[in-house]
Amino acid sequence: MSEVPTVLGGVHHTARPTWKLKETVEFYNDILGLPIVHAISAVGWGPEDHPDFIHLFFGAGRDSTIAFFYYLGTPPLESPLTPDHWLYKSVHTAWRVETRDELLAWKERLEARGLSVLQVRHEIIESIYVTDPNGYMIEFTWQVREMTTHDGLDAELTLRAAIAIEEERGAPVTDIETVWRRKGALVAAQLDEVA
Amino acid sequence: MPVIYVLDVPEFRALADVARANSACRVTATPLGYIRIASDGDIVFDRRELGFKPAIWYGAFTGGIEGRIAEFGRDTVRIVADEGAAA
Repeated sequence: MSEVPTVLGGVHHTARPTWKLKETVEFYNDILGLPIVHAISAVGWGPEDHPDFIHLFFGAGRDSTIAFFYYLGTPPLESPLTPDHWLYKSVHTAWRVETRDELLAWKERLEARGLSVLQVRHEIIESIYVTDPNGYMIEFTWQVREMTTHDGLDAELTLRAAIAIEEERGAPVTDIETVWRRKGALVAAQLDEVA
Repeated sequence: MPVIYVLDVPEFRALADVARANSACRVTATPLGYIRIASDGDIVFDRRELGFKPAIWYGAFTGGIEGRIAEFGRDTVRIVADEGAAA
């Protein structure tokens, strides 16, 4: 067993397919200002139905990138989902900005380029959202405070409560009140233990 | 007697502050980073009094509850004693 530690160093890239090469480059390079940092163009290396492709990467800060596959000669997949479907939106990329001023500066920049920008204050992050030409949601997020050990322990209890209910029922949990009630019991039990 | 556990972090702290001003509620800190709010009667909060935006409001009881949600509207929530068995 290697003694080299297995620790992650952040995101290198996320990748999704595109059927809009020019528009994707315009959006990420021209509008967002991300540098084109790498592109692989390969012949006959992909699967049989799309052997030739371009794999393109845009720099997204701190050596992270966002990448796309452009499968040459491949028609867009028939999908029952449109970009306004919740499942389409749930898979998204969120980039970190360090201050609220930066977040608002991005909002101003994106709106000045004619993009529709949604701004939402969540629990410990504030975010703005835009949709890229492929229909993928891109989020810019400012984290209001550091996550503490309490956040992590609380998250573990939430997940433990939900999983316990599902294991007992043999079915997915369907409402959050049930999870909150179970979690209340878990917290009470833990408090009894430390009392 | 309904109880709620509030994670002791800034975004949820107004729950404890408002409960402390309510003589029906007993608010205690616990060793696990939760603030425990108990009440002999129903626990009722008004969203505007808390100053909560929707993202916090609709996740306000993520710390856990002993009791059940009798009402969870846009601006009012009411936790009541649980008469049945816990889930």
